[in-house]
Amino acid sequence: MADVKKHDTPMLEELKKGPFPSFVDDIEAKGLKGKQECLDLLGQLELSYKHKETHWKHGGIVGVFGYGGGVIGRYSDVPDMFPSIAHFHTLRVNQPASKFYTTAFLRKLCDLWDNRGSGMTNFHGSTGDMVLLGTKTDQLEPTFYDLTHQMGADLGGSGSNLRTPSCCVGKARCEWSCLDTQAICYHLTQEYQDELHRPAFPYKFKFKISGCPNDCVAAIARCDCSIIGTWRDRIRIDQKAVRAYIHGELKPNAGAHADRNWGKFDIQKEVIDLCPAQCMWLEGETLHIDDSECVRCMHCINVMPEALRPGVDTGATILVGAKAPILEGAQLSTLVIPFMKMEPPYDEFKDFVDKVWEWWMEEGKNRERLGELIQRKSLQEFLRVTELKPIPQMVKEPRSNPYVFWSADEVPGGWDRDIKEFRKRHAA
Amino acid sequence: MAVNKEELKQKILEYATKKAKHKSKMYIKDLYKADPSAKPREIKNAANELVREGKLEFFSSGSTVMYGVPGYGKGVEEAFEEGEE
Ligand code: HEM
Ligand code: HEM
Ligand code: SF4
Ligand code: SF4
Repeated sequence: MADVKKHDTPMLEELKKGPFPSFVDDIEAKGLKGKQECLDLLGQLELSYKHKETHWKHGGIVGVFGYGGGVIGRYSDVPDMFPSIAHFHTLRVNQPASKFYTTAFLRKLCDLWDNRGSGMTNFHGSTGDMVLLGTKTDQLEPTFYDLTHQMGADLGGSGSNLRTPSCCVGKARCEWSCLDTQAICYHLTQEYQDELHRPAFPYKFKFKISGCPNDCVAAIARCDCSIIGTWRDRIRIDQKAVRAYIHGELKPNAGAHADRNWGKFDIQKEVIDLCPAQCMWLEGETLHIDDSECVRCMHCINVMPEALRPGVDTGATILVGAKAPILEGAQLSTLVIPFMKMEPPYDEFKDFVDKVWEWWMEEGKNRERLGELIQRKSLQEFLRVTELKPIPQMVKEPRSNPYVFWSADEVPGGWDRDIKEFRKRHAA
Repeated sequence: MAVNKEELKQKILEYATKKAKHKSKMYIKDLYKADPSAKPREIKNAANELVREGKLEFFSSGSTVMYGVPGYGKGVEEAFEEGEE
């Protein structure tokens, strides 16, 4: 056994007793193989449980040269007790689009991190990055050098930067994808390198890209600008496959629920009646969809993937302003562009982003997310700066967000009325 | 707009140094005040160059980044009153 010292951690021991594998086992095992940091981390955690307070100090002047993001400084406030974690900085490493790796890459990354850090990782952080947990200040530059020169990898975003863009598996693995999500993710990452590495904004800014409205990266809930694949033509219907579902030859949801007997598949009850737009109906065994009413919810396609497919005139819906803040409740993003083609080099999209950023950098308060700025300044103001036309789809509830007003210069004569002229026609 | 970049950097540095005597960490928005006629993006680019030259430094909590002047300020806690995700 390596020369390491395990602390007495009775409360953490309790966590090992549950039915699921415990993080305590993993971290301890790594520690006993020779990483004192891991054992010190557990020791400090035990102390935090005892004191019911964290013993991490956060923040500090750490980073690699010229980058204002990607490294999150952490220091122990009890370094005398746990000297090996006196510094315990986290690195965010930009994950490849859709998180595809070769085993060789992962092995190399693990070797690098065993060598330069605690050996502990978190795959993946909620922003999407590969997270390398715990190293010392003097290891930051060498780690960065190895990452960039040996692995072809780069640090991701943190702080008041653009955060590492992330996307669903898209066309690489999923037949529903209406977008080349990887291409968009890669393009935005390259295009906005400066914003990613050098703090520019009042607060963080995230892009997430889902290939279809199933939204597997939860873009609608988690990012300042959601790009979600959609189509504007008709759902493709294979009537032969529709009949095969009706007659039980094909399993609904591709068999995802087939381990239990839910009874015979009922297309009326399980698909047509659940369509939120109520725009589907059967004539005999022929399925009809009024696509002009369809809201692209994906339900029918998810249930009958062999019979129904998204259309072929595909593009993206753009939404803005989601956040999961600390003080107020979570907020979903708001639709601002119902359809955009999203073809390389994505100029239409980038023009939009430029206008959004310019406004936010100018008007946003410190630590104010885009969604909060829109709430404070009104969506109407947002539409004005982004030069978007108000459309009915933006109105969630007419009575509670009636933000589409005329401004004086849109009305002949402005707001000034000749009251005498008016009274000639209308008694007071 | 039309300011020369070196002049802008000088203005930012003077402003930041003056401010650092009272509050050692500042947001990018604070630096806008160094030259109200400059665009946010110009200020950002100039401030980042100053960091590369070692005249300003970044200070990050992980969720927010602030700028500091090397040599000013005490501990790491004072600058952050709020939590983070
Ligand atoms: C020139 C004719 C009309 C004018 C100027 C007019 C004006 C208005 C105004 C100012 C409101 C209040 C909107 C608000 O702030 O919430 C309103 C609401 C309403 N009006 Fe009219 N109205 C007219 C004709 C009609 C007619 C002919 C009907 C029904 C047959 C009607 C039904 C309603 C209803 C149901 C509301 C409430 C709608 C809501 O707030 O959701 N109005 N109208
Ligand atoms: C038993 C009969 C009815 C009940 C219990 C009822 C109840 C309600 C309630 C609770 C609201 C919402 C008020 C609010 O939150 O602001 C409402 C709104 C409204 N009702 Fe009725 N209502 C009845 C009949 C009718 C009829 C017969 C009409 C028209 C012919 C009508 C027209 C409206 C309109 C235009 C609104 C405003 C809708 C909106 O603001 O979006 N209601 N009603
Ligand atoms: S979001 Fe849509 S396209 Fe992307 S993986 Fe999920 S189902 Fe497939
Ligand atoms: S996608 Fe949703 S809204 Fe459109 S037809 Fe299917 S179930 Fe209805």
